Amino acid sequence: MEPEVVSSEMLLSPVFSFKKVQMGDKYPKGQARGRHWKHLKQILQAENFQAYTNGRPNYLNIEAPPSAYPSKKFCDITGFEAPYVDPRTTLRYANPEIFKRIRMLPNEYVQRYLSLRNAAVVLR
Amino acid sequence: MATTPQRQTDYRFFSPAIPIVIDNGGFNFRAGWAGESDPRITFRNLVHRPRHKATGEMVTIVGDHDPALLKYFDCTRSSYRSAFDSNVVYQFEIMEYVLDYAFERLGAEGSQVDHPILMTECVCNPLSSRSKMAELLFETYGVPSLAFGVDAAFGYKFNQQKGICSEDGLAICSGFTTSHIIPFVQGEPVLEACSRTNVGGYHVTYYLKQLLSLKYPYHISSITWEKAEELKLEHCYVAFDYAAELKLFQKGTKEAEEKTTFWQLPFIPPSQEEEPSEELARKAALKEKQGQRLRDIAALKKFTRISELESELHDLEDLVQQLEEVEEEEIYPFLSTTVYNSRQELESAVHRVTQSLRKARGEPLESEDKSDTSLSEKYSLINVPDSELAPEQLKEKKKQIFLKTTSEGRLRAKQKKFEEELLREKQNQQDEEKRLENPELYLEETRAKYRDLSERLEQRKRLKTNGSRSNGNNNSSGGIGRGERLNSAQKERMRLLTTAAFDRGKGEDTFGAKDEDWQLYKMMSKDYDDDDDSFEEDEAELGRLTTRLQEIDETFVAKSDMELLQGTLEIPWPRPLTVEDYKMTLGIERFRCPEILFQPNMIGVDQAGLDEMTGGSLRRLPTQYTEAKNSMCNSILVLGGSSLFPGLESRLEAGIRKIRPYLSPLKVVRSMDPVLDSWRGAASYAAAMEFPTQIFSIQDYYEKGESGLRQYQIKYSLLRLAGRIRAGRMHITAVKCGVWISAVGRWGSASQHKTSGFPRKSTAPQEQRSSGMMISVETSPLRQTKP
Repeated sequence: MEPEVVSSEMLLSPVFSFKKVQMGDKYPKGQARGRHWKHLKQILQAENFQAYTNGRPNYLNIEAPPSAYPSKKFCDITGFEAPYVDPRTTLRYANPEIFKRIRMLPNEYVQRYLSLRNAAVVLR
Repeated sequence: MATTPQRQTDYRFFSPAIPIVIDNGGFNFRAGWAGESDPRITFRNLVHRPRHKATGEMVTIVGDHDPALLKYFDCTRSSYRSAFDSNVVYQFEIMEYVLDYAFERLGAEGSQVDHPILMTECVCNPLSSRSKMAELLFETYGVPSLAFGVDAAFGYKFNQQKGICSEDGLAICSGFTTSHIIPFVQGEPVLEACSRTNVGGYHVTYYLKQLLSLKYPYHISSITWEKAEELKLEHCYVAFDYAAELKLFQKGTKEAEEKTTFWQLPFIPPSQEEEPSEELARKAALKEKQGQRLRDIAALKKFTRISELESELHDLEDLVQQLEEVEEEEIYPFLSTTVYNSRQELESAVHRVTQSLRKARGEPLESEDKSDTSLSEKYSLINVPDSELAPEQLKEKKKQIFLKTTSEGRLRAKQKKFEEELLREKQNQQDEEKRLENPELYLEETRAKYRDLSERLEQRKRLKTNGSRSNGNNNSSGGIGRGERLNSAQKERMRLLTTAAFDRGKGEDTFGAKDEDWQLYKMMSKDYDDDDDSFEEDEAELGRLTTRLQEIDETFVAKSDMELLQGTLEIPWPRPLTVEDYKMTLGIERFRCPEILFQPNMIGVDQAGLDEMTGGSLRRLPTQYTEAKNSMCNSILVLGGSSLFPGLESRLEAGIRKIRPYLSPLKVVRSMDPVLDSWRGAASYAAAMEFPTQIFSIQDYYEKGESGLRQYQIKYSLLRLAGRIRAGRMHITAVKCGVWISAVGRWGSASQHKTSGFPRKSTAPQEQRSSGMMISVETSPLRQTKP
């Protein structure tokens, strides 16, 4: 190890005296251990919140509902209020100049703009 | 930005009774001792596992460190990972690395971490996450007892202690990945009425980063996550009225200009050293010399070629001369000595060589009019009736007819071209005369004509393609995709096809009775064009006008060129870059990014924003608290890292006022330190005398397990009972705690407690830490009890 790396103390030691089980024992080296964790979605599914319908708060039911107000439409490029939608790219735009720009945009950029508001076409 | 915490050296001076307080936030991890005013260590809650380049070992790096040191590691196959999914801990392997690092930085010694731990978690943390965390702390670190609490609640309680907010109120906490509204009634959070929006500082930074990199694609490498974070903290603000602010910027007013800020990237102008003149002269001379050499070579080549051809021609002429002298019968024997088979062949060879010689000398080629003279003998068979000819001759005749027609056609085309040339010349001459008569009028007329014509042509073109292929955006194949509009020609074709398909069986079939009927098939064909001729004529005329205008009008730019120019305006032009190109403008982005906290729809999150969510939270309150609503709205506390944006409180106030009854009390305050208050609240909570009643011990863990953790819920209003605990008096509380705990026997075994009290110290007490250190050994009553 380089001296400055050692002196910065950035590397975590693999063994600590204050631990009862060391990292190396828990996850032995060289063994395929697969995925030992669940995504949040899986965790929430496993929690089985539906079974506890006694009105107690849980992670899912404290989530805010969709807004009651109609969502405002903003130009994807400039952020101004957007009265128009380009039917081909479905990008929203504020004025004809932006429209010209949209029509010049390569498809990759169109998709990136769309993905900003989670509207991009996702190919699976 | 790198935050590398110092290793603490005073771990062993803390009694095992003193809890370690951990604020396990999505952005920063903070840990310290109960009762202190500031966390001892703070670092980014991230783990990075690169490979060390020199040794090839996999190493673990927790937090963010000096990026310069990362050059020793191969980071291509790893990246920063967080233990959090949204605001829930889900990867406990990563969490373990983080905790390892935290305890190591705190200076932990001994065989286990022998301190109670108070850790923050999200509101309504899923049970599996909570129990995994408990399992990790109990079984890996040997922690004697645990307590879980919500960070925002601790922050609210802390501010309540300081008199900033009252016991009924609302905490609006906007964190790194989520934002919460937590209503408080009589100092206790009402969890049923809490609400969460999955938008936080992370989303703001990400949005800013993406917007900037889309706006400045050529600086994409400079727009790093850290830089975006920095820009967000420095420049972003919340607009009081978003729509009005947008208008301001859309109109480009002076106020908007003032609000626009810039980020100047380091720019090094390209070196433009003037070459010394002698150097230039030398280069020019060299070039000239090289050119001369090439010219010489070319001249030499030409000369040798000419002399070669001349000698060849000479030989051939000799041969012809000899042939003249030779008798008729001896021609063939004579020719057999040469490469030529017949007299004609020889003559054609002579002709060929002469032609190439002329070409080499640069003389004009002899025109082929000569062939006209021999026309009659060339097409000798044409006028002879077929009956007089042998089959072979017949064939020859056919060939001759073909040759004749083609050559005549060529001649006619030539003639036509010539005539056209004449016509154009004439037209030009007329134009010129007109121009000389009245130049200005003429120019105006020509321009108008040009405009008319080009517009007409464009119109036709548009009708034809209907713009479907004009931008090359997609569909460049020319096919018609779903949802594409058809142009008029295509529409007409479709109409024809459908009528043809459906008029079967209607009465008598008279198709084909008239000749025009068959035209239908022509019209149906894919590339049918009705009036191409006039189109072409127009185009030719337009071309003529363009050249004409280019001749007489310097300011004239052809329309097609203009389009080219316009098209390229957007594309970065290859020109020397200037400082301006390295300047990033932050105008609308300054308030557009934080706006997603109020309108999560902007980033496609279908949830209510902070202000609307507050109303939702108030509605969710159980009925018995309804009368508390007014007093709650009079004490709204904003905290969390994302509440640092300027203007957030006033915006929130305006937003909440809309949903509250007219003239009802409303007060929105920012917490004292939106970032650190949660930890501070937790630290003072852990220092309260009653804290040990709220813990979940290892015995509980073994006896009740998960179900115990499910029910586990601390009481936050403890602090009120404990009274105001000032940091300076902390040691007493801590010791009291210890005494109390040993009496109840909840903090693990009594023996453990006795032995690991304050360690004896020969040196002076650790008072180096002037402000943060509260445990002073001399005043500790425990010391007197020691042998």
